[in-house]
Amino acid sequence: MNFMKRGILGITRKKGKSLILLAVIFILGNLISGAISIQQATGNVEKTIKERLGTAATVDLDHDTLNNMPEDEWMDFEPEELGVNLIKQIGDLPYVKYYDYSMEQWMGSESIEPYQGEEMDEDFMMDEEDEIPFQLKGINYAPIIDLEEGKATLTDGRVFTDEEIENGTAVAVISENLAAENNLEVGDTFTLVNNVYSYDYDTDEEDIVASRDVVLEVIGLFDPKSVTQESDEDSESNMMFMMEDPYYQNTMYVPNEIVIDETNYNWEETLKADDELAAMMKEEGEDASFEYYEPIYYLNNPEDIEPFREEVLPLLPELYTVISATDQYERISGPMESMSKLAKYVLIVAVAATILITGLVVLLFLRDRKRELGIYLSLGEKRSKVIGQILIEVMVVAVVGITLSLFSGNLLAGQVSDTIMNSDDSNQSEYYEGVYYPELESELTTEDVMDSYEVNLDASYVLGFYGIGLLTILISTVIPLIYIVRLNPKKILM
Amino acid sequence: MELMRIENLSKVYGKGDTAVKALDNVSFSVKQGEFVAIIGPSGSGKSTLLHLLGGVDKPTDGKVFIEKTDIYGLNETQLAIFRRRQIGLIYQFYNLLPILTVEENITLPMLLDAHKVDQKHFKEIVEILGLQKRLDYLPNQLSGGQQQRVSIGRALISNPSIILADEPTGNLDSKNSKEIIDLLKLFNKTYNQTLVVITHDDRIALQADRVISIEDGTIAKDEVIRP
Ligand SMILES: Nc1ncnc2c1ncn2[C@@H]1O[C@H](COP(=O)(O)OP(=O)(O)OP(=O)(O)O)[C@@H](O)[C@H]1O
Ligand SMILES: [Mg+2]
Repeated sequence: MNFMKRGILGITRKKGKSLILLAVIFILGNLISGAISIQQATGNVEKTIKERLGTAATVDLDHDTLNNMPEDEWMDFEPEELGVNLIKQIGDLPYVKYYDYSMEQWMGSESIEPYQGEEMDEDFMMDEEDEIPFQLKGINYAPIIDLEEGKATLTDGRVFTDEEIENGTAVAVISENLAAENNLEVGDTFTLVNNVYSYDYDTDEEDIVASRDVVLEVIGLFDPKSVTQESDEDSESNMMFMMEDPYYQNTMYVPNEIVIDETNYNWEETLKADDELAAMMKEEGEDASFEYYEPIYYLNNPEDIEPFREEVLPLLPELYTVISATDQYERISGPMESMSKLAKYVLIVAVAATILITGLVVLLFLRDRKRELGIYLSLGEKRSKVIGQILIEVMVVAVVGITLSLFSGNLLAGQVSDTIMNSDDSNQSEYYEGVYYPELESELTTEDVMDSYEVNLDASYVLGFYGIGLLTILISTVIPLIYIVRLNPKKILM
Repeated sequence: MELMRIENLSKVYGKGDTAVKALDNVSFSVKQGEFVAIIGPSGSGKSTLLHLLGGVDKPTDGKVFIEKTDIYGLNETQLAIFRRRQIGLIYQFYNLLPILTVEENITLPMLLDAHKVDQKHFKEIVEILGLQKRLDYLPNQLSGGQQQRVSIGRALISNPSIILADEPTGNLDSKNSKEIIDLLKLFNKTYNQTLVVITHDDRIALQADRVISIEDGTIAKDEVIRP
């Protein structure tokens, strides 16, 4: 009779003992499997939400730190500028799929009208008085990242060529609706005005002191992807999106050089008109022309964000930091995080308790059977086989107990996490106070996070639980077994 | 014919100040088929000696030859197999396996050896022991006397040349004690098995062929009663 058969007999012929062990393992198994279920589910949420948040990242001043600076220090702080070289150096890192940096400027026009949107409430109409409704968005990446990322689709014409970007050719990609509003087609030109204002502090009035026309040729039309249709039940976020929409409809993509030119013109004219400011600038020796770029990087996949951040941070000037789309996760994942933490503690405690309690139970059983084990040893059975017999006795019961708790613990986890999430609902603030990065922002909310939470029985949970569960039981059996290995059969039998 | 020879056997338990000399330079030999009783006061070293004869423990010094084999010259595995085939051990506490039936307990040494059980021999022993009707019982369903019969059965199943029994009747009333000793004597005569029995009971000792008294780890007296 080999040790395996004896192990099985040890279970079937000592039913009471086996049932006690089964009950202990089942109860503790529920705790472990519940905790693992919740961990898995929260892990999945983090993964899916981060995937939905995307891989965009930018580099900017660390506004959190700046805001917490004492005032005098803050006043003295002169931020260094991010040079184009540094932006490119970061863009060449292997994590980066593609990147762009852009300068932006707002302009008005006398010949074209902004797109106002349709079927909109009066409340949400754009300000009629707005004299500079068009946003020129400078581009360095010729295929236009927003198109590549699917924020919009090209419906007509083409994107930029590298030469146009380099030379600052006067071409633009504008929205389909804006084009239709003004009867523009690919190949047509339109005119914007770059007005230079002076501000009179006494009369609180603005005057146009200089102005020049910017003539741009339409080379392509884009159509913003409407995200609104997806969530029509959710009227609140629907509105928010509609409000943003006209701004994007009135955005024009142009080569960066155009924006730089116009900005420089604007700045120079401002200085001409404002002697005081000019004198002040001269005194401080500031360069009259300045370029201020906002870089945007798209990484290969969401897991690249942390290593990217680690490599970029040392390259940055003082007080700059990396801001990524996934940062938003931390803001909207409150209940998820607290549940994940809770699950982690429960798991640690449950594993420790299982090792302790199962270990004690097994030890008690073994003490009871000291004599029996001694007989095997005195009959010349190898210690390894006696150990094998005990391991089989415990592990077979453990597999049964763990399999039962696999399902019940999973069910339990579903119940428990519903309760936790519902109770956490109230203290979740929807509003975020901080700098808003339109490129990095998505309209995902805590609710989306909660919605994507789902406790289920997937392969990684089953494997993870069997792994952790059986390992835990194994440890709690091996420890008392050491006690047997040291048995002297003679001492037992006398 | 000499079956077993013990040469200068010593056993010291522990080390240094707490060392106990349980056996001190003991030598003797036993003939095949001999029935030897070992007597002596408590703590004199009887069980220690028996375990050394059975290869269950290791001596500090000296040698044990069984059928010319130096049993402590064997390695661990060889000794285990030798013990299983040549030596039958019987204890005061029956030392049965609670999860195994009477039949499984008796045949365990063969099962551990993965040997086929000699059914004829098995039936014969079971009949002599009067256990035919109890073969499927678990030990806790048997009386003390029955349990001791099972452990005798286990000691005899592999047809060993030596039976070593440490106070086999220590837990039994006089009627059961007599039956057990009669059985052991029967096997001793039937199979010409050598029988070494530790006992505190003079009536049992007086049935032996030879009585060895142990005192303080040495042989105090060695008398042959029946040549
Ligand atoms: N494992 C051990 N460790 C230390 N000392 C031991 C051990 N086993 C036995 N002894 C000591 O060796 C001596 C002999 O013990 P042994 O068991 O051989 O006596 P015994 O003659 O069988 O006694 P009893 O008639 O009470 O069974 C005793 O002094 C005992 O305390
Ligand atoms: Mg003794």
